[in-house]
Amino acid sequence: MDASIAEQQRILASDWGGGRSPFGTTWSKFMMWIFIVSDALTFAGFLIAYGFMRRLSPVWPKQTEVFNMVLITFMTFVLISSSAVMAMAVGAARTANPKLAVRFLALTIVGGLIFLGCQAYEWTHFIEEGARLTHNPWGVAQFAASFFLITGFHGFHVFSGVVILAIVALRAALGKYSPDGVENAGLYWHFIDVVWVFVFAFFYLL
Amino acid sequence: MAHDHDSHAISYRTYLLTWVWLLVLTALALGLGYAPINETLKAFLLVCTTLAKILVIAAIFMHLRYERVNLILLTFAPLILAIIMFAFTFPETLGTATHVIAVR
Repeated sequence: MDASIAEQQRILASDWGGGRSPFGTTWSKFMMWIFIVSDALTFAGFLIAYGFMRRLSPVWPKQTEVFNMVLITFMTFVLISSSAVMAMAVGAARTANPKLAVRFLALTIVGGLIFLGCQAYEWTHFIEEGARLTHNPWGVAQFAASFFLITGFHGFHVFSGVVILAIVALRAALGKYSPDGVENAGLYWHFIDVVWVFVFAFFYLL
Repeated sequence: MAHDHDSHAISYRTYLLTWVWLLVLTALALGLGYAPINETLKAFLLVCTTLAKILVIAAIFMHLRYERVNLILLTFAPLILAIIMFAFTFPETLGTATHVIAVR
């Protein structure tokens, strides 16, 4: 009996005893990480399905010849730069400098909008060249389908990220300042960057 | 509640250096994309470059290096599950494929 009470007290005193976070973080940040992990699995599924199709197809169009790689590289540059600026926004928010945080957030939003504009331009050209979900001029139907699915899903994430950042920036500008909110939004934005790193390497370059 | 990570302020200089390194790695990946090398080797090198970029973003931009080990391990879950998923599907593409994709 004494042993079980001692064991109970040991558990209560541990990180898992309640009243504290076993992961040493706020609940909102931990939930954001859980979301990121689950969303990463979705993208992993897409990219593995894409790899599966690539392997099964006897031929595959050469992406570096089909796509405007200067534009894609510029999009990558913009997203990486916006991610760096977002990290600075989190730093400014953490050091209780909301004005600077809002400026960095605004710059990040501009980066996101430039990325979305480039993607809209890329999609328009691709569609004008005859690419559809079911067929395309390059022979393999899955080529355009996977392009629309992967970049479309990622693009929607960027759009969502811009909306989230706009809300966070607006709240900070109105004085409803929350460093945790900025950090959580930042985690989401960096995740978008991480996904693009995979898309850039495996969809456009490989 | 523990908030040890909050006390770790990363300087703007570190963020700028990280940004430069990410651009260097991107240029490297782009160069690999055009390099006239064996496709398997290219795939391997691109995976290495991509993982390097992911680690840098996660460690510095996402502050993962200051988090507890259990949270860091949690973030590896998708990568491990993706490798398992890849290992399950990849053998299907070897030898005689059961579902060959049509080419028009």
